Amino acid sequence: MKLILSDIPLHVDLSGIQDAHFVDLSQLDISHCIGCFGCWVKTPGKCVIRDDATKVYPLIAQSEKIIYISHIQYGGYDTVMKTLLERSIPIQKAFLRLHHGETHHVQRRVEEKDAVIFAYGSCSPQEQELFTHLVRRNSENMLYRSYRIHFMSSEELEQAVNEEVAEWKN
Amino acid sequence: MEKLVVVNGSPRAFKSNSGRLISLFRDFWRGEWLMEYNVVQNKPQQVFSKLRECTDLLFVFPLYVDSLPVTLLHFLKQLEKFSLEQKPTVHLIINCGFLEPWQNDVAVDMLRLFSAQNGFPFGSFLEIGGGEAILDTPFASLVRGKIKKLARAMKEGKSLQLQVTMPLPKWLYLKASEKYWMQYGAKNGITPQQMDTMQIEGR
Repeated sequence: MKLILSDIPLHVDLSGIQDAHFVDLSQLDISHCIGCFGCWVKTPGKCVIRDDATKVYPLIAQSEKIIYISHIQYGGYDTVMKTLLERSIPIQKAFLRLHHGETHHVQRRVEEKDAVIFAYGSCSPQEQELFTHLVRRNSENMLYRSYRIHFMSSEELEQAVNEEVAEWKN
Repeated sequence: MEKLVVVNGSPRAFKSNSGRLISLFRDFWRGEWLMEYNVVQNKPQQVFSKLRECTDLLFVFPLYVDSLPVTLLHFLKQLEKFSLEQKPTVHLIINCGFLEPWQNDVAVDMLRLFSAQNGFPFGSFLEIGGGEAILDTPFASLVRGKIKKLARAMKEGKSLQLQVTMPLPKWLYLKASEKYWMQYGAKNGITPQQMDTMQIEGR
């Protein structure tokens, strides 16, 4: 599966690409994680909050290619994308493993992924460096096989994402 | 006299480890304690008015997906819009469930960046590893010791970078955490096999 998660509406041409999904998070009803650990110790693999997040995190698990499109805030994901990322922990287990010499959560049935992140909005070189550090940390916890980050303005976004998606046709 | 406002950034608020860490901190704080606020109260004006009086602002929160909990992120975006003539010095206590306290580094840097962008002086911080369970182990005394150091540094206006974790080999930590989580599941009638399911949303 190929998945695009965006925190804003965008026109992305997915014609001719099999098993590709575009999810506009800004149009979904997703409340914040309450840290109850229910998805680990009460209803393993399922979030106890039954809103739209429960339709999205299974897609993340199944995707081998994933594009995240998010506004950048304080060197991290802004609230829309961060809310979804936090609500996606049902795809991990409570249990820990050693991964690249550090403790990390064991994944459930999650595909290894090639991730591309479009981080938009004005940001300093320092903020870009911090965001890159964050994605490097995410890559250990979210099973990225590879990742690339593109920083840009919101005006450049639609064209850049479509160029990236066009690569999926090859 | 130093005047402190404490912000609990955990979405679990009153039931949180962050709340317990704040209680420990309070035992060692020798300045004035103006207010403790939980971001999930969602009444930021209450705390913003106190910020006009305080000299120090302590954020206490868990690491969520390698960075700040979104509840705290919302709070910071609101705080950014609030006009303050005198900005308090920002300090942090961050806990993560991983053994390595440095997995909190990104969250520290995000708050450091927030502070720089908005004119808040940045002070001291404590990064805690093994955070989900450490307060219920004999290693809680190590946490108390570091919190005491942090409180003293804040009172004296010093910048300290502190870390604490369980002094265990990684294999033993993995084993201990497995036991911790299995007991947690058992309290809900969930077996280790159920917790270990590969299924997501039942598929």
